[in-house]
Amino acid sequence: MNLYVYTLRRLLYIIPVLLGVCAIVFFLFSVVSPDPTLIMLGKHASVQQMEELRRELGLDRPWFIQYLDIVKSAFTFDFGRSWSTKQEILTMIKQGAIPSLTLSLPAFILSFVISITISLFVAFYRGKILDKIAIFGCVSMMSISSLAYILFGQWFFGYKLGLFEISGYEYGFPDFVPYVILPGIIWIILGLGPDVRFYRTILLDEIYQDYVRTARAKGLGESLILFKHVLKNAMIPIITYLIIAIPFLILGALLLESFFSIPGLGAMTLNAVNASDFPVIKAMTILTSVAYIIFSVITDICYTLVDPRVRLK
Amino acid sequence: MRILIILAALLGFSCTKKIDLNEKVLNLSVTAEIKGMDPIYANDMYSSNEVARVYEGLLQYHYLKRPYTLVPNLADKMPTVSKDGLTYTFKIKKGVLFHDDAAFHGGIGRELVAADFVYSIKRLADPKLQSLGWWLLQGKLLGLDDWRKKYAEKDKVDYTEAVAGVKALDKYTLQFKLKKSFPQFLYALAMPFTYAVSKEVVAKYGKEFLNHPVGTGAFILPVFTQSNKIIYIKNPKFRDKYYPTDVSEEFNTPYYLADAGKKLPLVEKVVVNIMKEQQPRWLNFGKGRIDVIGIPKDNFEAAVTPDRSLTDDMAKKGITLIKNVALDVTYIAFNHDDPLFKNIYLRRAMSLAYDPHAFNKLFNNDLAMVAQSLVPPGISGYMPSYTNPYVGPKVEEGKKMLAKAGYENGVGLPEIIYDTSSATVNRQMGEFFKKQMAKIGIKIKVVTNPWPQLQEKITKRKVQVFGIAWGADYPDAENFLQLLYGPNRAPGANGSGYDNPEFNRLFEVSSLMQDSPERTALYEKMYRIAAEQVPWIFGVHRQNFILRHGFLKNYVASDFDQGSAQYLNIDLKKKAEILKKL
Repeated sequence: MNLYVYTLRRLLYIIPVLLGVCAIVFFLFSVVSPDPTLIMLGKHASVQQMEELRRELGLDRPWFIQYLDIVKSAFTFDFGRSWSTKQEILTMIKQGAIPSLTLSLPAFILSFVISITISLFVAFYRGKILDKIAIFGCVSMMSISSLAYILFGQWFFGYKLGLFEISGYEYGFPDFVPYVILPGIIWIILGLGPDVRFYRTILLDEIYQDYVRTARAKGLGESLILFKHVLKNAMIPIITYLIIAIPFLILGALLLESFFSIPGLGAMTLNAVNASDFPVIKAMTILTSVAYIIFSVITDICYTLVDPRVRLK
Repeated sequence: MRILIILAALLGFSCTKKIDLNEKVLNLSVTAEIKGMDPIYANDMYSSNEVARVYEGLLQYHYLKRPYTLVPNLADKMPTVSKDGLTYTFKIKKGVLFHDDAAFHGGIGRELVAADFVYSIKRLADPKLQSLGWWLLQGKLLGLDDWRKKYAEKDKVDYTEAVAGVKALDKYTLQFKLKKSFPQFLYALAMPFTYAVSKEVVAKYGKEFLNHPVGTGAFILPVFTQSNKIIYIKNPKFRDKYYPTDVSEEFNTPYYLADAGKKLPLVEKVVVNIMKEQQPRWLNFGKGRIDVIGIPKDNFEAAVTPDRSLTDDMAKKGITLIKNVALDVTYIAFNHDDPLFKNIYLRRAMSLAYDPHAFNKLFNNDLAMVAQSLVPPGISGYMPSYTNPYVGPKVEEGKKMLAKAGYENGVGLPEIIYDTSSATVNRQMGEFFKKQMAKIGIKIKVVTNPWPQLQEKITKRKVQVFGIAWGADYPDAENFLQLLYGPNRAPGANGSGYDNPEFNRLFEVSSLMQDSPERTALYEKMYRIAAEQVPWIFGVHRQNFILRHGFLKNYVASDFDQGSAQYLNIDLKKKAEILKKL
């Protein structure tokens, strides 16, 4: 099938998926969750003012009109204003995306490079003491709570040694750099355990394939076999793992952003959930769904690029 | 560990920013998101403090007087009040300028006039804006409720239509007319909800007004963005306002009076860091990047000794400990719609069995004050020598009282549900309550709810007992007593739905009276009724423990912090010395 037609067809899937997402969002936050006017008006809420506010927010309209509003905003990306901060949601997202990406993107790339390098290294020494130490290290690192890394990192490297900013953020390059290094390192460390184990398993699956034995029989060096042949053949699961993670990079890192006072989308989403800020939650859910579908299509396309055996249908 | 240090050293080379010691910068921290810079939405402590750095009201609390005393701010002097207590006439200060902004002719801030207050009060009442401070003036000013009601049904609100309750008599004279006596009215004029905004700025920025604060205050914030930091700069055109020279006895010290008579503000810049988590806040304070901090619970022992003084380690760094009893009360409320709790003996039995002292030790590091009734110390109506006979722990008396209620050893009493919010500490408080009640044979089931759900349950009367707290909006016992006034039942502030005709009558009488010994006597009567009728199980009045660095001058702990930054100062020489020790 033509790549363009395939892409178009897959992108059209966004429509039913979005309708479904809108229905779930509407059900969860309009039917199940408590009255937001109570939260917005706080301790001095009166029946009259709650009714007035409900009318202003359009919560007194029939349910299907409210549902259609959500659908409309999902397709126009006009999410309106936050109930809690009264800010334009699209502006909030734009403002929050930059800090989130300045932290998550470099950390994500570095994390991948380091993890895949270690994985190749331990796959090369499979079954040897180095491999066992690496696996033990990975499991140990995964056993420690992410909060422990954050608290220790801030206290030791930020406070005791004074090497990094303890928390905070400044917009613009290079002003943001001092603020994202420590959370970035923690991000990498947090990902190292599961990533190395995952990539190692994939690489080991490939290492025992016939073509590797053939390559060895032909006298190719181990590093050439690993980098040129094994890595290339292991790319499909790696690509899936990587690309599907990208939409969540945009969402930010809830805990890291919160502890390091980084005004990203993770912190914004957390605030919205705490304040029952339905429009913001709705916007973030819809955007994440759209991003997820788009990146799924990209993953499929990437398959054909790295493996000629894969055909788009 | 060595490898970690080397790694960190390599990566972290010059990864920290140096503190600027050339400019007087105030570094503060807040623990919650700031909702925006529109006074009419500033309904939480954090947002109202930020709004008050840019905007100002007619009145303010004297910075260095206790008990809290109202003094003129944008008003030239305190108002003249008519004999019937219904008409308040203010003269406002002349020559006060709004901050420069493109909204004004030529970009130059114009003079504040009485009409700006009329506009700002109408904005507070505007039904289209759904301000969060309308409760403050609802039913208070002549014609304002009708004006609001009229435009609630229409598409557009007409601000030019006169309202009898708020009028500009001339350029500098403002008059308020009340529907009925409301002695707390003046407190309303010190709250950010009623601060002056300019209609030109509102018109220019429309819905984005909340991001373009243009007031008359000591500091300027060119644009507000929802971020982790807010940076204010000194208003170069701020009017001649001076640090006070007449102060209460406790502030008559060189620390507070070194800047007496100096023109305000005293610093060039105010940086407000939004830090929601305790640890980064605490560590940044430790590094001198924040000037003052409320001690986080987990760090309490590092800062304060068992006898409630500062640890040597902190004292060596030039840090000072400040204690401040908060104007609040924590309590466990009964739902008085539940037939079970119409039985006063059951309520008393539960109160007698409950140990607020143990609660205080467990949850407040033994720092709070056990409440005898609902009014906290520091405001008239509080009775320092009064001891509530039903405050526990008096387990044996509780058992007898429970038998008198008809449930000897809890036999025949159904399991009671205690609702609380889902934070860990609140769940622990619920378990504590359960354990206390078990002492007299009462079975409790603890149910945790996300805060919004708990609020809804209270409003819809779907609770039996629930743990909650109240902080003062203004320093008057009325603000606490209204929590038990029958007509204020939920969704009003009376979440327990307590309705006692005698209490209601006294409240209605006192609410029309100006501050006087007679009114205080009525407050005390209500304080006693609340104590003895046990509408709630009383908890504690909390106490704040605050640390400040030695280089921060003039700091005063206050329940009403709005506008305080203009009085604070930084000793740069001392700061340089102290930073070396940190």
